[in-house]
Amino acid sequence: MEFDLAALGTQFLVGLSRAMILFIVCSGMSFVLGVLRVPNIAHGSLYMIGAFAAFSIFTLSGSSSTGFWLALILAPLVVALVSLIAERALFCHLYEREHLMLLLFTFALMLIFGDLVKIIWGAEYRSITAPPFLKGAVSILGSSLPRYNLFLLIIGPAVAIGLWLFTNKTKIGKISRAAAVDREMVGAVGVNVSWVFAAAFVIGCYLAGLGGALVAPTVSITIGMDHTIIIEAFLIVTIGGLGNMWGALVGSLIFGLTQSFGALLWPQFAIVFPYAAVVIILIWRPTGMLKSVW
Amino acid sequence: MKKVFLVGIALFGFFTLFLIYPLSYAARPITIKVGVIDCYTGPAAMFCKEALNGFKLALDEINKEGVLGRKIEFTTRDTKFKVDIGLSVAKELIMRENVDVLVGTISSGVAMAVSDYCKREKVPLIVWISKSERITGEKGHRYVFSTGENTAIAGKAGGVALSKKPFKKYWIAGDDYEYGHAIANAAWRNLKKLKPEVEKLGETWWKVGEPDLVPYITAIMGAKPDAVIFAAGGASMVNVMKTAKATGMSEKIPGWIHTATEITILRALGPGAPEGFMGTTDYLFYHPDTPANRAFVEAYKEAYGNQPGFSAFHGYTTAHFIAEAFRKAGSLDKEKFIDALEGLTIDSPAGKLEMRACDHQALLPIYMGVTKKVPEYDFVICSDIITVPGDEGLPTCEEIMKARGN
Repeated sequence: MEFDLAALGTQFLVGLSRAMILFIVCSGMSFVLGVLRVPNIAHGSLYMIGAFAAFSIFTLSGSSSTGFWLALILAPLVVALVSLIAERALFCHLYEREHLMLLLFTFALMLIFGDLVKIIWGAEYRSITAPPFLKGAVSILGSSLPRYNLFLLIIGPAVAIGLWLFTNKTKIGKISRAAAVDREMVGAVGVNVSWVFAAAFVIGCYLAGLGGALVAPTVSITIGMDHTIIIEAFLIVTIGGLGNMWGALVGSLIFGLTQSFGALLWPQFAIVFPYAAVVIILIWRPTGMLKSVW
Repeated sequence: MKKVFLVGIALFGFFTLFLIYPLSYAARPITIKVGVIDCYTGPAAMFCKEALNGFKLALDEINKEGVLGRKIEFTTRDTKFKVDIGLSVAKELIMRENVDVLVGTISSGVAMAVSDYCKREKVPLIVWISKSERITGEKGHRYVFSTGENTAIAGKAGGVALSKKPFKKYWIAGDDYEYGHAIANAAWRNLKKLKPEVEKLGETWWKVGEPDLVPYITAIMGAKPDAVIFAAGGASMVNVMKTAKATGMSEKIPGWIHTATEITILRALGPGAPEGFMGTTDYLFYHPDTPANRAFVEAYKEAYGNQPGFSAFHGYTTAHFIAEAFRKAGSLDKEKFIDALEGLTIDSPAGKLEMRACDHQALLPIYMGVTKKVPEYDFVICSDIITVPGDEGLPTCEEIMKARGN
């Protein structure tokens, strides 16, 4: 089987755009993992809520282009609000517990969110459409690439830059980084650690919601989409280095690109490529590609 | 003192419960009991709920006049798409609830496990959504029936319909699980038999629930097949059709999916659905345009606010098969019920529907069509419908008996 350069180029861009979505979701998870030390299994549920909220906002505003942009802005905020309530009401009492307890707790939360979504939105498949100028495909050297994937290639780096500015240039970002390294010390110098944690949690969950809203026009929005993403997210966060946001970027790129090239090189067994990459990386670097904060 | 009082009240309540419960139980009229086991959690829940809606609608009609002077009553259990849970709820319904007939489910795995159990317990099981051809094929027996189409019927219909199209070079792509492979194999086997010059360029399989199909589709487009056979189920069908549209594939390379023209899928896609996509299904709410079908659609819309899909149709016909079989049998005896159901023909919204006696498979016709925008609906519907009659799509009785090894 021979490949032309155009096909390889398309697969590269498609893989990159998939990596962007994964990065947005996983960076949030990694951030929460790094600062709060909470392995949040309910992260995938928040991604799902983001997608369903985007659907509701989109339909309520008349299924128009404006509706799409509104959904993109408001749906992650809805998720942030849900996570703020969850954090203040439940999480903040549990930070001192051991990891296994937290793992079980977030697992329970995932089941509860899953049922809530079913009660609110029902079991039907939902779908939204992107505005006309993001629909259809552009032709690059004879291969076609969906316009929406190009849009994701712009959004992804923008989110990465935003995160970098947040963690390096803002006070709360710096404090949360410090809390990731030594939370007792941060408390000792007089910072209200509880609210730093709340902020970090909400930001992490906001990113899950943003990922859900961004993916909404390209998939069927359905219960069960939380399970798929959470497994991938855990793998990516692990191969990237637990709690390291840039590790999440590296992990997402590895996952996205092995998937897209796998689909081209050996389509019958395309499933195994990303997972084989994970196995190889974990044998080679058991703590992940970049420095783990744990 | 207060404590004694509370304990007294609790004891009193406890014993009255024991006293009242058997009385109320005895006072109930004797009914025909149907146990419904299906998956009411997870992504498959939508189809199961629809099947139950169709079933309830039919029971409302049936219970107006009753069956053998009784009403048909049902009780549901959630299988959660898991074989062990499905088996345990089936046991509970048979042992404790003493159901006369068991009905379910969307998962072929659960259906086959429960079918095996029903064979031992000698309780009839009617499978209404799951599509493995093995249920009434090689794994079939006296106590299992199917009111839904299966991969053999769908694959044959797909093969017949595709053989009439001019395509030569095919690509096969789909969800990597039993249903995906079964439907792909059946379609390809039949297509190759009817049109030997077709050629398979390659296959792509992605994991079930894979959200992003763009890399797979762009890779397939690079291989330039004439058409693609997509072996996808559930929410994945929505993803395939969305991706086909987004990548521009739907304008260049036609695709076929079994049940792509199913209303629940097209309604989810809304106006964003690709046109010219080929699909097969065993029920369309607008075809055939007969008074019976229109009446069913109206009644369903009034009760549940939406047009019925194929699983609602299966649920509806299942209830009528049960009622008719009991009427014909004239008793609640399970063996007589099975004898009566064998070869029974009922009037369904889509015309006469026969339960084939030799393998207990309903002879459902399959409609092949291509998606098209119409002004009446805000979603696409299917046009240029080719009908493959039920008995044409099925393997013959001899083939079934050979597969069963007798």
